[in-house]
Amino acid sequence: MATRHKVPGRAPTVAPNEKARVVRTTDSPNCTGACGWLATVVDDVIVDLKPAADYPCQEYNPRGCLRGMSMTHIIYGPDRVHKPLIRAGERGENKWREVGWDEVLDYIADHMKRISKDHGPESMLLFNQVVGTGYVQKGAQVRAAALLGMSFATAYDFNGDISMGFTQTVGIDCVECETRSWAHCKTAILWSSNIFQTRIPDAKFLTTHAKQRNNCQIISIDPRASQTAKGADLWLPVNPGTDGALALSMCQVVLKEGHVDWAFLQKFSDVCTLIRQDTGERLRASDVGEGTEAEFMVWDEGKDALYKLPMDSLKLPEDAKFAFRGQRTVQLSDGAKVSVTPVFELLENEILRDEYAPEHVAKTCDIPADTIRQVAIRYATERPSSIIIGMGVNHRLHGDLTIRAILLLASLVGAHGKPGESVSIYSGQHHFRLDVSPWWFPDGKRPNGVPMHYFVLGQPTGTMNPKIKFPKDGFKALFVSHANPLVTEFSAPMKDAIDRLDLFVVTDFSMTPTCEYADVVLPAPTFWEKLDLVGTSCHPYLQIQQEVVKPQYESRTEMWVQKELLKRIDPELAKQMDYTEEDAIEIMLKGGGKEVEGITLEMLQKGPVRLNVHDPECGLDEQLHEDKLFPPRAYPFPEGAQREFLKTGRMEFYKEEEIYQKMGETVPTYHWAFEHLPVSAQEMPLAIVTPHSKWRVHSTHCNNPFLRNLNRKPVVEINPKDAAMRGIKDGEAVEVFNEFGSYELWALVTEAIKPGVVCVDHGWWDRYLGAGKYHSVHTYQKVKPTHEVYYLPAVYAPGQHWKDTRVDIRRVK
Amino acid sequence: MLIDLTRCIGCDACTLACKQENGTPYDTFFARVLNVEAGTYPDVKRVYIPVLCNHCDDAPCLKSCPNKAIVRRPDGIVLVDQDRCRGTGACVSACPYGNIILHREEEGWYLDENEAYEKDFVKLRMKENVARKCTYCAHRVDQGLQPACVVACPTTARIFGDLEDPESDVSTYIEEQKEQTGRSPFHLLPEAETKPAGCYLGTMAEQRPSTLGQSDGIGDAKQEEAQRTQRGQK
Ligand code: SF4
Ligand code: SF4
Ligand code: SF4
Repeated sequence: MATRHKVPGRAPTVAPNEKARVVRTTDSPNCTGACGWLATVVDDVIVDLKPAADYPCQEYNPRGCLRGMSMTHIIYGPDRVHKPLIRAGERGENKWREVGWDEVLDYIADHMKRISKDHGPESMLLFNQVVGTGYVQKGAQVRAAALLGMSFATAYDFNGDISMGFTQTVGIDCVECETRSWAHCKTAILWSSNIFQTRIPDAKFLTTHAKQRNNCQIISIDPRASQTAKGADLWLPVNPGTDGALALSMCQVVLKEGHVDWAFLQKFSDVCTLIRQDTGERLRASDVGEGTEAEFMVWDEGKDALYKLPMDSLKLPEDAKFAFRGQRTVQLSDGAKVSVTPVFELLENEILRDEYAPEHVAKTCDIPADTIRQVAIRYATERPSSIIIGMGVNHRLHGDLTIRAILLLASLVGAHGKPGESVSIYSGQHHFRLDVSPWWFPDGKRPNGVPMHYFVLGQPTGTMNPKIKFPKDGFKALFVSHANPLVTEFSAPMKDAIDRLDLFVVTDFSMTPTCEYADVVLPAPTFWEKLDLVGTSCHPYLQIQQEVVKPQYESRTEMWVQKELLKRIDPELAKQMDYTEEDAIEIMLKGGGKEVEGITLEMLQKGPVRLNVHDPECGLDEQLHEDKLFPPRAYPFPEGAQREFLKTGRMEFYKEEEIYQKMGETVPTYHWAFEHLPVSAQEMPLAIVTPHSKWRVHSTHCNNPFLRNLNRKPVVEINPKDAAMRGIKDGEAVEVFNEFGSYELWALVTEAIKPGVVCVDHGWWDRYLGAGKYHSVHTYQKVKPTHEVYYLPAVYAPGQHWKDTRVDIRRVK
Repeated sequence: MLIDLTRCIGCDACTLACKQENGTPYDTFFARVLNVEAGTYPDVKRVYIPVLCNHCDDAPCLKSCPNKAIVRRPDGIVLVDQDRCRGTGACVSACPYGNIILHREEEGWYLDENEAYEKDFVKLRMKENVARKCTYCAHRVDQGLQPACVVACPTTARIFGDLEDPESDVSTYIEEQKEQTGRSPFHLLPEAETKPAGCYLGTMAEQRPSTLGQSDGIGDAKQEEAQRTQRGQK
């Protein structure tokens, strides 16, 4: 309802109902909430926003949050880029020449032609943020990159949102249930997940639905009493970086107390496969002359003989009774004898170590042993039970191990795949809800995938996967779109990498710190000014994002820019970009796979349409309900592309590859998060956590004047004990520092954070700090070799360890 | 309006929805959310208390206004008549809840002064230098709509309606909660005796939040039994 009324006096005026049109659209920033909104437009100005509240499944209504509600102040906000800009000073000097589109496109095209000729097209790298939030427009950029043979770095792995623990265990980088499924929980563990801030539209499923209807107990594991702790029945202020020990200790409890779901493990996991003592690898059917190398053997106790696991389905014979324990000797087809042990026994040996006894872990994690026991038992017995994992667990070098341990805990008790039972990580809208290949990859042509890590490092690591083609002369051009990599924790090495480039082009609607460092800035429409197709893992509705108003100022859609660029570079190739947004949507709906079968553009224009998925979606539905082999398919990759890193087709708690053996990570184990840092860094007294802020979506909205009115300046949360030791008072200017650098902001002395931990919301632009660079204290780029054994962009790729940083704080004098 | 504090997640969607609807200037918030931290580590609690004008039946702001600019409509909504208000400010000090806002300095805004959004659609709405407060979105209510903060609340923690009509959303909700969770609505600062129309529902009886499991929030049967006996003895 457009607010054209005067503020009511004695008799409020009647609505001036002039030429207002109301448009139903979808907000799709990187929170990946994909909420439906109604925008009221008068004279081509958006004058009001209200949640659309039109989801056929009533429980989802209304969706929306304060950021969506403030979008007008981004669309018309003070930092909008109005015109194309070409740098007129040094990089970062912020001196610009405003130019027309023709000039800027010619400029970029000329550079691209030259770079491509001198160094090959793969030396030009596209890095666009969360492609899942806009299949059409961001897809157009990928399509053009594919046509030109450029390199493409998926943002998801560089963000660290890729959850390698999931990939290693279930063969896909994240699994999520639709949030409506939370409503069924009786026990919900929020493992460093702060849903009251990060999943605002969805939090009600726990706080209202599950709690009020089911008396759900909400357990928050987090070093700070986050906003979510308000709704939690139990808060466990864990020592940062020790979550892995906690998870393994809980595994020990459920194992010792006999809460193991053997049937679940036997059918859905690899725990009965046999590990050869000589090679440390699984016993294959080919080893014993019973089949191929891609088939695996277990020991059937009923028949007292080897049994070959089916590889076409997870279905097992009724009388299957596989061995979980016991070393046996088997004869190989070449006559040799080897000793083999079921994976379960190896897991058990690890889990039952004294080190993971609650009494021992109590010290590591600073959580009482009894509490560890209670929580583990409650999780195992008060069902349905869910775990929601947050990024505090994942953004760590050993985050994969922690997640493997958490998945093991859930599998031990069989808490997967039912309403209210899942392990979910809403780590990004990476999961395409349909196969976007027909639009993204013309005639199957894909761009050259390279993890952004190697761009930042400037060279491959010694262990880089041989599948990755690092450009022979290194990278010469970088195209960043809707991403702000100079406001992430690794901005310092990122800047160095940019300094090595001939051309750095940034596309955005706001003049971000990344734009400020660019050679060329292209003004983009916000996601309220262009047509797109949007999906999310939070809910199973496919939606249209509308061009509510035409692209503002001189901004142009990504689709238009790519067409125009290609025309200038290669008119022949440009023909393959000759589509409208509607065409692109139709192409994707037609070739998008079974999830979108029967869904048309027409239906989507009328409102959200539910995908053809289970109801409710619990995650891993096809595996657990239809006996399809793991992993769930990761779009846009073909069926079977993930098999090489999940060979057994079951949840794998044992990784057999040489590097896992070498690093002692075949089974989930615990490493202190900071163990890989130099001693000097380890000795810094404070761990720093950098959660998402409710005032922003990462760094988007940081400059939203509406939200800045409430969130005035960056603070560092610090416990009164730590503050007193340093003579810091609430509200004072302080400096966060370590050997890498420092920055200044203001102290918020609060009892809601654990001593020894400080907290700064991530995504602050440097200009709001007292001084320094937000990212300057964060640790250096590093790649975990186990993440390099295979490569499938954004599915099996190196993760990130932003949170493995330690700091100290002092007053600013 | 009833606010269920158990449902509220302190997300501030209501605060911003109010600003979007009412186009209030810089630093003016009709609907606020108080973020309260209580206790010492590790026994810390967080509470969110959304506050807004209570549209009191016996409103001190109304009585205090020398210009008779504050009126109570037959449906109970208390409004400041912008045309009669002279910015005296008596109401500001009269409201025990601090819900009336009067800026005497020059108004601050958010956008570039040429942006049509503010220039043509927002700034015209309000007179400067007069008292302002939440109107329960009277203009929406008159069209049969719910207040902006209510439709925007993602947890449906805000329930609006006529408390005197037993069939209204708010009355039905109160009844339902009485039955299901044994909770009854309460007012903020009852001692002010203003008969507020805005009321709250608190935590549910079985909610006993705790840290580290040391108090009685969660536990095995044995512990719960121990607690029952303890409570029995008290
Ligand atoms: S920012 Fe995210 S959660 Fe908020 S309204 Fe937009 S899509 Fe929804
Ligand atoms: S919108 Fe609702 S949940 Fe959010 S702060 Fe306001 S009342 Fe609470
Ligand atoms: S809350 Fe304050 S402003 Fe609102 S009616 Fe009561 S006294 Fe008046």
